[in-house]
Amino acid sequence: MITRFLTDVRVKFNPFSPRSKSARLFLSLMPPSARSNGMKIESQMLPRHSKEPAFLGLKFKDGKEMKLDLDKMRITEVMEEVDRHSRQLARKEELLGN
Amino acid sequence: MPPRIRLRPQIVRLQLHTNQHIPIIQQTHGYVSLATATTPAPPISETLHSVPPVLRYPPTQPPSYKPPEVRKTQLHRQYQSLLKSSPLLLLFQHNNVRAVEWMSIRRELAHALSKVDAERQAAGSTELYADAIKIQVIQTGIFASALRVVEFFHPGEDTMEHSQHPTSPATQTSAQIPNTTGSAEDPRFTHGLSMRAYQAASNRKLKLELEPLLSGPLAIVAFPAVSPQHLKAVLSILAPSPDFPAPKRRTNPDYHEPAVQSGLQKLMLLGARVESKIFDQDGTRWVGGIDGGIDGLRAQLVAMLQGVGAGITNALESASRSLYFTVERRRIDLEEEKGDKKE
Repeated sequence: MITRFLTDVRVKFNPFSPRSKSARLFLSLMPPSARSNGMKIESQMLPRHSKEPAFLGLKFKDGKEMKLDLDKMRITEVMEEVDRHSRQLARKEELLGN
Repeated sequence: MPPRIRLRPQIVRLQLHTNQHIPIIQQTHGYVSLATATTPAPPISETLHSVPPVLRYPPTQPPSYKPPEVRKTQLHRQYQSLLKSSPLLLLFQHNNVRAVEWMSIRRELAHALSKVDAERQAAGSTELYADAIKIQVIQTGIFASALRVVEFFHPGEDTMEHSQHPTSPATQTSAQIPNTTGSAEDPRFTHGLSMRAYQAASNRKLKLELEPLLSGPLAIVAFPAVSPQHLKAVLSILAPSPDFPAPKRRTNPDYHEPAVQSGLQKLMLLGARVESKIFDQDGTRWVGGIDGGIDGLRAQLVAMLQGVGAGITNALESASRSLYFTVERRRIDLEEEKGDKKE
């Protein structure tokens, strides 16, 4: 997954729900130096019996915000969604020659 | 000394080759009818007592269903024993924690726990667990499987006695030593790596309560006993919260090093398993918040029961007292009425 265009990651999930797996896996995909490179990562854990769906909020470097409902998505689908925008940003960056 | 049988087998063989037409019986002066039974007679001690049975594997290593030499099997066994021996288990998710960060987190944890132990030793307690409590990265799938065995496989009382050694003179000959073969398919094996354990654990209809947590990169902290004091120290280091504040920069500057802090940001407390019950984050904090551990709970219970006792005596006394009052009042009333009639 391309993570270098992410500036802000917000995850909310209930670890005891079997559908929060993709939320936890998304957190484990963040590179080890993400926080020291200025990415903000906030994870909030819901209590055990809450029915609230898992939620992922992202902000990109160009200011785009993305809100994903992780309850119905597998981790591959989440990665596709995020990478789609990240690839656009990567191409733009390449064309500008930076 | 057993009786000797006169026999010269070499001569028999020689004569068999040279002149076959002569009957052998006439040529030899041994008992040829016994020639096939050349095994020596058993010693007298064995004819008096029955032969102790033979165990075909070391008593501590009954044959395992899966190949025992691979790492997976050994980890499985190790996790089973860990789960059976630790009543309190914290479950963390670790997201790409680096080796340096692990090292510094472990150092801080050991430091905090040794402090707790020093306090307890000063208070005269003998339950010191600092050396036994460590954070440990686990193989999630194998851990889940081991947990299934621990939860769902209960062989009951008829476990085989592997501890008595067949050749030791202390073992009675009537002892029921498993006369099992070396094959792992024997259904009499009931250890954690046996075929029966495997079958019990692979029943997909049984669901673990902890199952949704067991995915992704996991680490555990296992406690050899439910000791809220140690749990408190661990929580304040690994998952600080308002109830369990992290050590201040002034008291413990090492804790605020960047290596420790960046590592802790990547650790997430998921839940806990306390005496085979599952708790979430808040539940874990509640367990950590029990003052004084089991002794504290006992003291609370005693205080409560004493309070209840006092209440009960009060209630019972009040009933009798009020009865006394009513009866007394009635008597006074009656006397007054009598006095009125007389007048």
